[in-house]
Amino acid sequence: MNIKYLLSASIVALALSGCNDDDDKVATIDTSLNTQILADFSNDVASATYTELQAKAVLLNTQVATLKASKTDANLAACQQTWKDARLVWEQTEAHLFGPVATEDIDPRIDTWPVNFTDLDEQLAGSHPFDESYIDGLDDALKGFHPIEYLIFGQGGTKKAADITARQMEYLEALSLNLKKLTTELGDNWSASNASGNYISVVSNAGAGSAEYKTQLAAFEELVNAMAGICDEVANGKLAEPYEAQNPSLEESPFAANSIIDFTNNIKGVQNVYLGKYKTDGKGLEDLVRAHNLSLDTEIKTKLNAAINSLNNITTPFGQAITDRSPKVQNAMDAINDLKSVLEEDLLVFVAQHSN
Amino acid sequence: MIAEKTFLRIAFIVALGTTVYSCVDPDEREETPADEWFAGGSQTIFNRGNGAFSSSFPNLNANRIKVHSTGDAAFGSTFVSAPAPVNPGLGPIFNNVSCTSCHINDGRGKPPLNGEQNSSLLIRLSVTGTTEHGGPKPVPGFGNQLQPRSIFGVAAEASFKIAYTEVTGNFADGTSYSLQSPAYSIENPYQPLPADLMISPRVAPPVFGLGLLEAIDESEIIARADENDSDGDSISGKPNYVWDEIANKKVIGRFGWKANNPNILQQSAGAYNEDMGITNFIFQKESSYGQVQFSTQEVYDVSDSLLQSVSFYIRTLAVPARRNADDVVVLNGKKIFVAAKCSSCHIPKSHTATNVAFPEISDQTIFPYTDLLLHDMGEDLSDHRPDFEASGKEWRTAPLWGIGLTKVVNGHNNFLHDGRARSLMEAVLWHGGEAEASRQYVKNLSGADRDALIKFLESL
Repeated sequence: MNIKYLLSASIVALALSGCNDDDDKVATIDTSLNTQILADFSNDVASATYTELQAKAVLLNTQVATLKASKTDANLAACQQTWKDARLVWEQTEAHLFGPVATEDIDPRIDTWPVNFTDLDEQLAGSHPFDESYIDGLDDALKGFHPIEYLIFGQGGTKKAADITARQMEYLEALSLNLKKLTTELGDNWSASNASGNYISVVSNAGAGSAEYKTQLAAFEELVNAMAGICDEVANGKLAEPYEAQNPSLEESPFAANSIIDFTNNIKGVQNVYLGKYKTDGKGLEDLVRAHNLSLDTEIKTKLNAAINSLNNITTPFGQAITDRSPKVQNAMDAINDLKSVLEEDLLVFVAQHSN
Repeated sequence: MIAEKTFLRIAFIVALGTTVYSCVDPDEREETPADEWFAGGSQTIFNRGNGAFSSSFPNLNANRIKVHSTGDAAFGSTFVSAPAPVNPGLGPIFNNVSCTSCHINDGRGKPPLNGEQNSSLLIRLSVTGTTEHGGPKPVPGFGNQLQPRSIFGVAAEASFKIAYTEVTGNFADGTSYSLQSPAYSIENPYQPLPADLMISPRVAPPVFGLGLLEAIDESEIIARADENDSDGDSISGKPNYVWDEIANKKVIGRFGWKANNPNILQQSAGAYNEDMGITNFIFQKESSYGQVQFSTQEVYDVSDSLLQSVSFYIRTLAVPARRNADDVVVLNGKKIFVAAKCSSCHIPKSHTATNVAFPEISDQTIFPYTDLLLHDMGEDLSDHRPDFEASGKEWRTAPLWGIGLTKVVNGHNNFLHDGRARSLMEAVLWHGGEAEASRQYVKNLSGADRDALIKFLESL
């Protein structure tokens, strides 16, 4: 979207006129550190977050079964909390939205907005039994996080356990089973023990036989572009579109009033990738940057914090902040675009200089 | 969901100067001119990852970026059944729910696996005869395209199944290969299908670089045509002439697997209408109009400005730069590509016309590796369904730029109009008809030369 275009014919001509491989590279490239960063990203960030997501979806499925057996508000509250926990880790994974989550079409199947409420109501009013395979065959706008959110939080987040009809419960149970299946597929795709091929080896073996990433630099570019890409989507899509259109119905996660939390976790996901850390603190891009350019490291961290703080400053629900024309929304868009700029301009140049 | 965007920065100029464009022997540089790195001319971007097909032109001004972004958001918008506060009007019968559900990451679709729902392959339909404009004649009760999905309570037109048969063969050196030959069946039609039904399965093609292909002067395309093979090289090539809904006349076709669409705007408008059931100023009747599925409740137009912005978005999607173009194996592969006469149809270089109204696409030298002409590809690839001037055997030369990035963008290596080829080599081996001699040439190559050819294709 918003591009500062530094590409110009003159720069291109300049770059091409040189005929020396190493003009812009550092003298020695620390290949073993770079290998470690890619391995740690794969294991400690990507695989770790998808494993956590899978665990939350499994738990949600169990808690929905409990709720079905005993329709208490406490059991509903447990489902709501786990939905939020699953959402937290899912939004963090959006900072590395490449590989199976994109190519296997998993993202739209678990996270499509808007929900097709007209068909959803018709489905609930109908009589077709809801099981996982039936849900799996439905359109994206009838499954995944947001229909679950609608059923367990309700309009305005006012749902009570007693409000849940038998038909809704049946649908909810099948939805949670489908979410469990798809997140398990994602976890398996990033599992080292998956013998039929896994994305840990695709990224870790960049420059060493990976079909997708012929060089380590290509994999680093993927990470940095993914980090900048989610900043772009949060600032110029998720925040800007409802804000500019003054249309709260464009807001995602309205029933759980979770939008700002979603956005904050998107940026925390960027932090995860930069640090090489979700639970285990592995080697990250941070370590490469700190070895050569402390001021860049400081700038990235400062802007990460500023972006997260700017979102935390939006204290009214997002749907309301939009119509209030709160300057806090504009501030957040600005702070996140600042972060995007340092990533796609400075960090991208940096990784080109420090990897092969 | 908005497609994830990645953008290119000066980093890649640095990267280009240092890692990609290393010193080339002057003799070999003639084979691969320096500008061939810039597959899309000045609209080339240096992204070789998951977002390689999703970047805007690098030199759009702020106002035009805004239009591109509006189109980008619309391209990702999921439609739902009416009434709804956001994006109503899906269907009532449809192929998919958003542009991006078929063109994932602005890239290439693939045939559905057994029982897979979210298909990025559609089936065009017709019966014997032509329309008043010379196009395929719609099937009564079904139209031009099979819509296998529907909103709640509405009958889908039918479902379809693909059954593959393995057909084995050998290269001259004894190495064996296997191709999967598809058979399509249409099942559970909501009403009987006519006996003279013709079908043409087609996967969603990548959508980047199309603005540049649209900008190639018509005379440059026509100059390459050799319909009666007057030069005697067994390769003819002819333009398709198709109906332009806005100009109200026949014009040269450029887009679609059979060059059956004249421009990006009409292609996009047709996709909204047929694929999603969203009417617009070009196609004002619902795809289900006149069928039992039709309902006035689902008649929602996409606004003219939004359709124009989607069209602008597609026109301004940049082309990824080549990788490894100076690698010795790649250079050898290029020589083989030329020697096998692949380059007679997959013509490397084209030029865009001067366009003062659209400077970004004006006067560019580009490397799409297509002549945009129709060629007889042989009986094995025939769909037996004429499409304007194209016979069943004739297909438009597919652009090859970016093809080596299919795996990282879309996670598969399925090629050709219906995705039957499971690798680039399988795609080569399906070529028949005018390409028969090229296929035989490739079958006679050594293993090392075959690898070089594939390495070259992967560098595109």
